[in-house]
Amino acid sequence: MFINFTIEGILYFGAISLSLIGLFGLLVSQNIFRMLLALVMFEAGANLILVLSGFRENGIAPIFLGDNVGAIMNDPVPQALVLTSIVIGVGIQALALALIFRVKKHYGTLNMAVIRSKLEEEIATQAGVAPPGSNQAPEAVENVGELK
Amino acid sequence: MNNLILLVVLPLLSAFLIPVVAKYSSQLARMCGPVVLVFILVLIATSWDSIGVESFAIFLGGFLPSVGIVFYIDHFSLMLSALIALMLLVVWPWNDYVPARLYSLYMLLGAASFGLVLSADLFNLYVFYELLAVATYGLIAASPASKTNSSAAAVASLRYLFVSAAGSVMLLLGIAIIYTMTGTLNIAYLATMTDQLHGMAGLSAFALIAVGTGVKAEMFPVNSWVPEVYGTVSKPLVALLAGLISKLAVVLIIRVLLMMFQQPEALQLLLAVGILGVISGEMVAWRAKDVMRMLSFSSIAQLGLIFIAFSIAGKAGLWIGLALMLHHLLVKGGLFLLADKMNGSFESLRGFAKQSPMVVALFLVFILSLLGIPPFPGFWIKWLLIMTLAEQNGGLYHYAIGFILLATVIEAAYLFKLVRILFQSENTKPKVINNENKLIYRYAQIFALILIVSMAFISPISNRLKDMASQVANPQIYIHTILQSSTQTTQTTGEES
Repeated sequence: MFINFTIEGILYFGAISLSLIGLFGLLVSQNIFRMLLALVMFEAGANLILVLSGFRENGIAPIFLGDNVGAIMNDPVPQALVLTSIVIGVGIQALALALIFRVKKHYGTLNMAVIRSKLEEEIATQAGVAPPGSNQAPEAVENVGELK
Repeated sequence: MNNLILLVVLPLLSAFLIPVVAKYSSQLARMCGPVVLVFILVLIATSWDSIGVESFAIFLGGFLPSVGIVFYIDHFSLMLSALIALMLLVVWPWNDYVPARLYSLYMLLGAASFGLVLSADLFNLYVFYELLAVATYGLIAASPASKTNSSAAAVASLRYLFVSAAGSVMLLLGIAIIYTMTGTLNIAYLATMTDQLHGMAGLSAFALIAVGTGVKAEMFPVNSWVPEVYGTVSKPLVALLAGLISKLAVVLIIRVLLMMFQQPEALQLLLAVGILGVISGEMVAWRAKDVMRMLSFSSIAQLGLIFIAFSIAGKAGLWIGLALMLHHLLVKGGLFLLADKMNGSFESLRGFAKQSPMVVALFLVFILSLLGIPPFPGFWIKWLLIMTLAEQNGGLYHYAIGFILLATVIEAAYLFKLVRILFQSENTKPKVINNENKLIYRYAQIFALILIVSMAFISPISNRLKDMASQVANPQIYIHTILQSSTQTTQTTGEES
């Protein structure tokens, strides 16, 4: 019942699984490059689901329809849409790669946990408060001012 | 009327021309954006009256709906377009030297925002949303708060990119589900077949769209990027992101909600995330020790309030939501602009009131309205929201009142804690303001002035918003405008309806 073993059912199952794997990877992985790869998979799954919405079993491309007006054809609209979203996806992945490159050059690591704690530290020091989770009392900042 | 398409075309064109122009004259490249934005404002002003109660649709390239792309224009979308142009002019980087590509990114952001409020096609909305997202990633990475932490801005941008791109994929999934169910993506057509969209599949599509778009709208479970981004980028950009971009995402959600999913389950979902956003935002803001973090989380709470307002069915919820949106744009935008002068930890701001009384006075005006102290506009909006919530029957709505009041108490606690510190006079060390930007401060003053002046015009403004809301809340007008005009034109071209 859950998967009806038509070709369409199997394709949908594959597409949904792919996007779930991508989402899972995005949530659990700590390496930012792997996170990007997971994002790519998530996008690929979503694109497959979108293009499947126009899929008809035994359907043919409308351009080959000819005089055969009543024949089953694949819906061309989702194919056009999916092309757009693939292009958008590629652009975003390239941008993410460029950012990853910059982050790696500055911090020397790809571990998200480390990068995140460093980011929080930087935000806190810029704001002039003790970084979250540290034992340093906020009064310490004031004392420095008094010494001067 | 068709010239309103220039709202999207001109910023897009200038975005790609600016880098070329900058090769010859950087002065010309800098002026290009403001000139386009002012021209757009004039365009909006001239077409405002001619639209009237009737709304208007533009069919791109003369292709009619179900095939072509449609832009839908009413007073609501025109007002939002005007706000976009004004906000972009406010945050336009005038005085400091900035690379030309930053101007391009701002214009790209403008084009995407105009497209987002005008488009009447789900897939177009997705494309403009992505364009908006890409422009914001670039802007965040390219405008750090200070020269020293440019890599922190890159990290914040990357972390934001992961959340936001996952959200975009969810939006795409929601759109794919809707297309599978109905076979169209034109919102007007979808509005005529709402009964097909009810049920689990439709609701999951709505949930995916709401959560996916909610990333930009600082919605409850997907707002981890807010403090990081707001803490690392320059204050005018924060004012733009918190004040305007978050609202545009909300506009996308309510367009979809009003036209296609006006059903109790979808509204309850929005109400639940709204309540959670209000409570979690205020709790974390209460624990904050510096101004930016406090304001970021308070902004999350305010957007939760907006979601609560939009979860009330019909016209009443819509116009309160609109009022809340405008109020938040004015107050939070103003506060973030003001934070350019008044940032850092609470401790470093001790006795700041004596040092610069005018800044603190403006701060007080903003936070009093934010809290809802009687003469300020914020009071009337919160009052109306609570009264309207009390009129609803259904358990969660009544709980929401309690949560809003509780949140207001917490908000008052942390804001007045800061005010008390500001007026203490124990500190002898004057706070050093490193990045002096006169213009930004001037804009903060103007925002406060608008807030104070609007106190006198509460009833005309609210009447205007009510008219606007009744126009927006009625799907019939939307369907009629897009499909009727298409049938009128098709009489000459063909048999398609």
